[in-house]
Parts: sequence; structure tokens; C-alpha cells
Amino acid sequence: MRADGPDTGTADGPGLYVYAVVRAGTPLPRKSGGVGSPPAPLRTVAVGPAAAVVSAAPAQLRARRRDLLAHQELLTRLAGSGPVLPMRFGMVAPDEDALRAQLAAAEPGHLAALDRVAGHIEMNVKALPAPDSLAALVAGDATVRRLRDETRRRPGYEANVRLGEAVASALARRAGEAGRRVLRDLAPMARATAGGPEVPGCALNVSFLVAQADSDRFRATAERFAAAHRDHVELRVAGPLPCYSFVGAANESPRAPVGGG
Amino acid sequence: MTTTTYVDGAAPCPPRAGTLYDVLELILDRGMVIDVFVRVSLVGIEILKIDARIVVASVDTYLRFAEACNRLDLERDSGSTTVPELLGGSAARSMGKRKVRKTVESVGDTVRKAVGAGGSDDDEYEEEEAEERPARPKKRRAPARSSGSGGTSRRRKAEA
Repeated sequence: MRADGPDTGTADGPGLYVYAVVRAGTPLPRKSGGVGSPPAPLRTVAVGPAAAVVSAAPAQLRARRRDLLAHQELLTRLAGSGPVLPMRFGMVAPDEDALRAQLAAAEPGHLAALDRVAGHIEMNVKALPAPDSLAALVAGDATVRRLRDETRRRPGYEANVRLGEAVASALARRAGEAGRRVLRDLAPMARATAGGPEVPGCALNVSFLVAQADSDRFRATAERFAAAHRDHVELRVAGPLPCYSFVGAANESPRAPVGGG
Repeated sequence: MTTTTYVDGAAPCPPRAGTLYDVLELILDRGMVIDVFVRVSLVGIEILKIDARIVVASVDTYLRFAEACNRLDLERDSGSTTVPELLGGSAARSMGKRKVRKTVESVGDTVRKAVGAGGSDDDEYEEEEAEERPARPKKRRAPARSSGSGGTSRRRKAEA
């Protein structure tokens, strides 16, 4: 395993770890940690109306649970004080001058994005094959039932592999179908939707940009759907989240559901 | 290298809503990127994602599905109440059914593991760094699980 991150052997590596871009004047949450152990103090670097929230980058920064959590928690707290453009985990500016130059160059885009996410949160919905639905599947899927009968008549390795493969694909198909239905149900409550990164085994992964005031209603709707379709899909709803998926124009357009294995 | 500990040492626990695991891919793959900045190495994470994908499509998974499927007694257990019982644990009080429950659970775990909803999240991003785990309750079925999956996981690695 290689370590490509900065490695100076000191407590802090070179550079500034950048958590987010916020409106200048946004207060930093009190008692908030950051990445690194111990976390370096947080501060803001403001250029005009926008500011970056940074700390000294730790040496040997890696995607460890503790640091991922620190990143996520700080962004969540920042969102309590105003709109936040979350950085992807692990962005390190080489120095403050470079950061200031970047903030100045990207100012119009940052301000537009801050306006867009203001008052909104991200909700993420994943549709997974329902693990408890095997009996329903066998009862409802003719192919699986036929293969199961064949396996029982003539047991064998090949027959079992065929049966298991059919089960796996049927589970994924049912989850995908239910996922597309829930997407239709939830999309009207969102200002925008964005397909999430592909997650192995996940039939659908979509994020919704939802007005803060609607987040409870959104979750309740998703949970009602999940309860009504538990034989077909396991829905996992996460949020309110910082608007990871809605910080750029590139990945903001509504997209077709992202399928997985 | 210790990347296999993620799969081998997975301690199953029930899915928790809104955990870091559920949003891991957003933290790692979404959010603003500035091209001129350095980005932390995610080599380990990528490898583990690939591992999970192999699990989904593996013959081992298929055989587990098939076994659970063949053990279902649809004629006798066609009532809807039987399924939760089978999976939920009350049936396990009888020795005869214990094996069934274990089998079906292991299928569920395979699905959960494969789709990234399992309880192995602690290990995933710490495969190199032995860090303290935050204390959290481990509800239901702690024991007697991982020994079975150890061998099969190695088989998965071999298929990789």
C-alpha cells in the first residue's frame, strides 16, 4: 500500500487542509475538531465575500474513519451557520497564497453555488436488495422457482450456481424497480437530484437537494415507501447532509438512476 | 498487507441509519474539487471497493443464495409470518432451525457486506492504522459468525 500524501515526519505536513467554502463572516463552530490527531486549529481564509475554512494539513493524511468523521461533522456544524460548499475529503492547498488565488479566481462560481444551496440540505437515498425477502422472491419469481425445483430434483454444484445467480439478479432487479418508483415519488419534493457514485451492490444511489423546511416530510415519505415495499427493497435514507452533490454545475442535473452490481 | 481484514474480520451488526458508512462515497467522491490542490491518497479505499464488488458476483455468494433458497420450505412456511421468524431469531431456539437461521443470516450478511451496509465500516478505512474503535452497541448475533465466513472470504480473495 502506497502513501501518496504529504509525509514530512512532522506533526503537520505542508499545506492547508480545506474543508469548505462559506460566505465570509460565517462563524466557526465552537469546540469543533478537524482532521489530524490532535486536530490543528481551524481558521478561515477570506477573500472578498467568500472564505475557506482550513487547518494546517496533518502529515500522512489518509482516509481514516476518524478523519472522515471529523470532516463530515465540521461541515454539518458549519451548515448550521449558513450555506456551505463542502470540499471533497482530502483537498490540501499547497499554501495560503495558492488558496487565496483560487478563491479570487473562483469567486463568482462560489457565490452562485452558495446562493443555490442556501436554505437547502442534501438527502441521500440508496436502494439495496432486500435481504429478508428470499421467500417472497421465490414465491413471486417464476425463473427462480423453476431453478429451485430443478435443483431439488437434481441437486448439484452447477444447478446451485445457476439458482444462486438467478436469486442475486432477481434481488437486484426488484430493488432497482422499487428504487425507480421511490425516485419518482421523492423527486417532486426536491429542488434538484443528482445520481450518486456507484456503490457496489446498490441498485440506486441518488441525492436530493431539499429545502430545509421539507426535510422531515421528505424523510417521512421515504420511510413510508420503504415500509410498503420491504419485500422488494431496503431503502437507506441519510440526511440532512452537507450538500456534497450540489456544489458544482457539472453533477447537478437530474440523472438516470445509477445502477450497481 | 492487511486489506483482507475488512472482509475476513467483518463483525456483523445490524445496519445503522445515517452512519458514516452510508455517506462514505459522497464524502470521498462528491464535494468540490480544486484541480491544482493535492488530494489525499485513497489507494486503500479503492482496493476495498473492488473487493466488495467481487463478493457480489462471486460463485460463493451464489451458492449461499442457493443453499438458503433450497432450505426454504415454501409449502409449509408460505405464511408471511414465517419469514421474519426465520430471520429474526425466535426460531433459533430449536436446534433444528438454528442451522437454517444461520444460513439465511449469512446470506443477508453477504448482501449487506456486498452493498456496503454491513458493520465492517470501522475496518474499512483503518486497514493500515490500528485505531481505537468508538464504543457502540453490538446488537444481536455477535458470536459464532465470523468463523464461517473466514474461509469463504479467503476463497473470494483467491478468485480475485
